[in-house]
Order: sequence, then C-alpha cells, then structure tokens
Amino acid sequence: MAERTPPLQAQDKLTFLLSLVPYLMDHDRISVTDVAAHFGMKPEQIRDAVRLIGVSGVPGDTAAYQHGDLFDIAWDDFEDNDEIVLTNRVAIDDSPRFSAREASALIAGLQYLSALPEHADRAAIASLMAKLSRGASSAPGQVAVASSETDATLAVIRQSVASGMQVEFDYRNSQGSAEHRRVDPLRVESMDADWYLRGWDHLREAVRTFRLDRISAPQVTTEAITFAAGDVVLPELLFEASAADLIVTVDVAPAAAFLLADYMTDGGTQTQPDGRLRTTIRVSHYHGLKRLMASMSGVATVVEPPEARAVVAAWAAAGAARYTDAG
Amino acid sequence: MATQRTPSPGTPADPAAGTGTRTPAPPRIPAEERLFSLVLALLASDNGLTKSEILSTVQGYRQRYARSGDNANLERQFERDKDDIRELGVPLETLESPTDPGNNQNLRYRIPRGDYELPTDISFSPEETTLLNLAAMVWREGSLSGESRRAILKLRSLGVTSTEPVLGYAPRLRVRDAAFAPLSSALEKRVIVKFAYLKPGEKDARTRTVAPIALIQQQGRWMLHAEDQDAGGTRNFLLRRIVSPITATSKHFEPFPADAAQLALDELERIWHERTAVVEVEQGSDAATRLQKRPGTTVSDTDPTTLLLHYTDINLFADELAGFGPEALVRTPPELRDAVRSRLEVTAADHG
Repeated sequence: MAERTPPLQAQDKLTFLLSLVPYLMDHDRISVTDVAAHFGMKPEQIRDAVRLIGVSGVPGDTAAYQHGDLFDIAWDDFEDNDEIVLTNRVAIDDSPRFSAREASALIAGLQYLSALPEHADRAAIASLMAKLSRGASSAPGQVAVASSETDATLAVIRQSVASGMQVEFDYRNSQGSAEHRRVDPLRVESMDADWYLRGWDHLREAVRTFRLDRISAPQVTTEAITFAAGDVVLPELLFEASAADLIVTVDVAPAAAFLLADYMTDGGTQTQPDGRLRTTIRVSHYHGLKRLMASMSGVATVVEPPEARAVVAAWAAAGAARYTDAG
Repeated sequence: MATQRTPSPGTPADPAAGTGTRTPAPPRIPAEERLFSLVLALLASDNGLTKSEILSTVQGYRQRYARSGDNANLERQFERDKDDIRELGVPLETLESPTDPGNNQNLRYRIPRGDYELPTDISFSPEETTLLNLAAMVWREGSLSGESRRAILKLRSLGVTSTEPVLGYAPRLRVRDAAFAPLSSALEKRVIVKFAYLKPGEKDARTRTVAPIALIQQQGRWMLHAEDQDAGGTRNFLLRRIVSPITATSKHFEPFPADAAQLALDELERIWHERTAVVEVEQGSDAATRLQKRPGTTVSDTDPTTLLLHYTDINLFADELAGFGPEALVRTPPELRDAVRSRLEVTAADHG
C-alpha cells in the first residue's frame, strides 16, 4: 500500500500482537517479508513483535514464567533465515473480536461505500454488516450514514483508474470560465456535502483539486496515465496556499469563525470592540471571496482592501436586485 | 490526602491522578508488553486473578511491585490498563468473591475466552475482505481512523487476502470535526454532555445540554442526534457547528432503542423529500453547474434554467444559495425566497 505507516501506539501494538499470534499459528513457517506484506507493516515492526511474543507468556502455576509457560519460536530460523516458526503457544487460540467502536467504524464505512455506484450490491453489504455486529464484543454504537445519490462522474473516474487511462472533462472554475482538463486521478474525497477529485493536472503540470460538481462531460481517454496514487504525495490540505493569493482582512462573529478555518492565514485574530474577531484570510481571487462572504451574511464582513469590499457589495447587491426586478 | 482510596473496579481511574505522579521504576517494560502479558494472564486463568496476584506476578507489574509497601501508583496503572484493554473490545470481567462480596481486595479479574474470541462461524470471503479494507480506508482522518486501523489488524489476523489490491482510489471521508471523538465516547458511556452550538441562521452560539443518541450522516454532513435536556425532545446538531469543546457531565442516561439512529435518518430523509424549492439559475453560471449536480435536483422540462431542489434546513440552504449572488433566484417557497433576499441585502449593506 502506498499509505504512510503511522507509528503505532500502545493500544495499536497490543491489537497487533493479539492479531499476529493467531495468524502465525495458522502458518507453520512464514517469512517476515510475507507477514509484513499481509499486515501492511514494515519488516522491522514484525521482527520487534515476534521478539516480544517469543519471550511472553503467562505467569503459570509457579508464577515465575517458566519455559513451558512462554511462547517459543524457532530462534535459529528467525535469526538466520528471517522466518517465523511458532514452536510453543500459550493462552491464545483464536483471533480477537472487534470492539463495538471498531465494528461501528467499519459499518459506517460500508454504509458510505454502499452509496457509491460500484458497490451497489446492497445485500452483500447488509450481510457483512450483520456479521460485523455479531463479531463485536458488544453491540456496535449508533453510527448511521444515509445512502445518497452520487455524481455519475465518480463512475467515470473509477473507470479511468481501473484502466490506467487519463480522464478528461470540462471544468468551470469559480470565475465562471470553462476549461478542458486532462487528469490522472489520484484520490476522491468528500467533505460535508462536497466531493473533490484530486489528481495530476496535465494542463497545469501539477497536483490540483477539482470539485466534482464543477466537472462536466467527463470521459476516459485513450492516453495512459503518468502518475498513479502512491507516486505522488498529496498534501493534507485540499487547497494549497500560493504566492499569488490575495490577503483580505475580515471581521467575523466568534462563533462563526470556524467557517473561515480553511482560508485563515497564520496571522492570528484580534478581538474588536464590538466583540467580533478580526482576522486575515487567503483567497485565490475575489470571485471566490464574494461567494464565501455572501454565504456568511451577517456574521462576516470584509474590512480591507477596499476593492474586495466593493466586489462583495456589488455581488450581493446584484443578487438582491434580482428580487426587486423580479417583483 | 486522608485515606488511601482504592479505585473501584469497572470505574475509570481519575485521569488527573495518573499523569505526573507516575514514577517509572527500573527495569522499564514497554507498555505493550505489560498490556499483552496482562491479557495473556487473564485469558489463561479460568477462575481469574486478584489485583494483588496480578500486580505481584504479571510481567510489567511485578518488576515495580513492592511486597510490603505502597503500590498506589501501580494500582492506578492497572486501572488505566484495564480501561485501555476494554476499549479494544477485550471483555475484561470483574468477579466478586462469593464468600466476601463487596470487598474490593478480593475481586477477581478474568477474560472469558468465549467472549474474547471471534465466533468460529464468522469468516470473511476474499470479496468481503476487499470491501472491509475499503470501508476502513474511508476514514482518512478523525477518530474513526484509529478504530478502523485496529479493526483491519484483527481482520488480517484471519489470514484472508483481498481479491484485488487496494487501489489508491477509494473515496475518503474527511471528518475534521473535533467533536466526533468525544461524542462517540459519550455515546458509548451514555453520558450527558454540554457544548456551545451555533444554530444555522443565528449569530451567537448557545450552550446545549444533551443525551447523545446517535451519530448520523446525511448528504455528507455529520450530525449528533440527541435528546435536548432543556428544550425536551430530540434534535439534530451539525457537528461542524459545535463551536466549543464537548464537556461530559456526571449524569448518565438510559439506553435508547437500537434502531434510534436509523429512525433519525429516516426522519431526515422524509424532511428532505418533503421540502422543495424552485430556483432559477443563470445559464452557464457556477450556480447552474453546481445546483444541477446537487443530489435530487430535477431540471424543468420546459426551461433548463429552472431547477427543483431538495433541502433539509432552510437556513443552511439559504446561506448556500445566497453565495451564488445574482446567479440564482429563488421562486418558491416564499420563506426561502425572503431568507435569501434578506441575506443578500445585509451583505450588500455591510460592505457598502
């Protein structure tokens, strides 16, 4: 897997130990490399775990951890050939149950997947959820995800990834201009109600994030992709700061400041006499700013620069005028 | 401090007590070795072990155990370890002594094998394993990512490999809401919580005291379905709009029916279907492109710029539509029309 392997915490390490033992019991002899590949971990993490298992056990009748009370491995095979052979085992016979929260995390994940066109087999998913509930140590917590329609674009992206061919589409940016883009899809993400495609943009020759609802006429091309997921490290932030960004000063009601979190600079905030917070945000152009401000009516106001205020005022006034004109 | 208080079994140790007062005694045994040894010892013992047996014999505790002395730190360590282990779904049981009920010193601890092990009739096919791997990858960040990571370790323990390698392509759900983790923990422990909530359409947050019933997601938005302790009745709170840390109270609540989450979702879906708006969009505009792609949107047969849209919360939807400025004009319903219009007028006035 191309994912970074995060360092394991004590609870993760314990879960891994409890999971590794039954796996080793089922394999008379297995190489460290194979175990690492199966669990998606580094070989050294496997070796550390095996070394620990090899000296662990139960206090036993003598309460002294005598030889027969401990796990044992064929140490020569391990040290010389990097192979694991469990020669004595204690206490553990089988894999552990899922915790209620683990089961509900997977169940919620399955519910989310079942909303997508390629996982339309609802019956299979329902039986899998039932199995997870039964395999949990207590009833899974109440987490539920509604199935929702998804954009047909998703299916085209999936096809593009599966065939290794670039996807092309018309993209209308927030300035209203449409461009034809060719992209190697790297990942699809959703946040709140919004879906995003992150991919290598052949026009810009850089990683770009596209809103799915701004994509029209998507098609799989006959040109092979240059980058697959895993070739490119995607930044955690959906939208990266650029030197060309415009900096705008905004006053915002403290409770609504979170709505600006994605745009705030590192400049911090100051409380104004009226109780609002003054902060600076970063926008790529005023077209994005006017939409953002108009969606935060009454809780956020642009302070400067004056051009930014004028753009927002004109946008909102034009919107309000439509109601007067329309009668 | 007057008397040495022995924490009662099953109740979480005072979190403030542990940190800072821990005195690491040599030799240092890694936490995972101590936890692993504790699980092994309790699994292997049919009748269970008393606390003093555990502290004096189990690897990781015995090295720090004072035969005749104060083991208060070690006891607190054991309390934390029990919580950590239980959180992983390991059924660590407490048994009262039949001859001496109520005496904490004679409580026995054990892990019953049948409740620990995955039932033998549960197995997963390679196709199911693929799906579960994908389901785990959905949680890219947030509290459920740790849970799904551990669930996958347990799944791999069964030795089944996926039918297809997991592609980088898997839709990810970004759960940034800091409230998610404390709320799911409060749900599990059935604790009443308090938080400040910014209701859509309002300018200031208000403190709410609620009994959490379920975490639900509709149209991509995470909500807490909860019973409001002040207003009475159930409410849905958007996690994104919880603007303070979650504070747990000392009050507990009775469990809600198991289908509460599904019922809450069904109700939201019903509302969404029921509430419709007719919006006119400017052809070729951002509003036209995006609103047409909104789930459930119908385009008028006679006029491609007239859209029929569904929504759940009038204030959230009015915020969304106001953002489109002159590109979108609400025809009906009148209350949505007024809400969008007054938002635009306020924005224009504030920036004039």
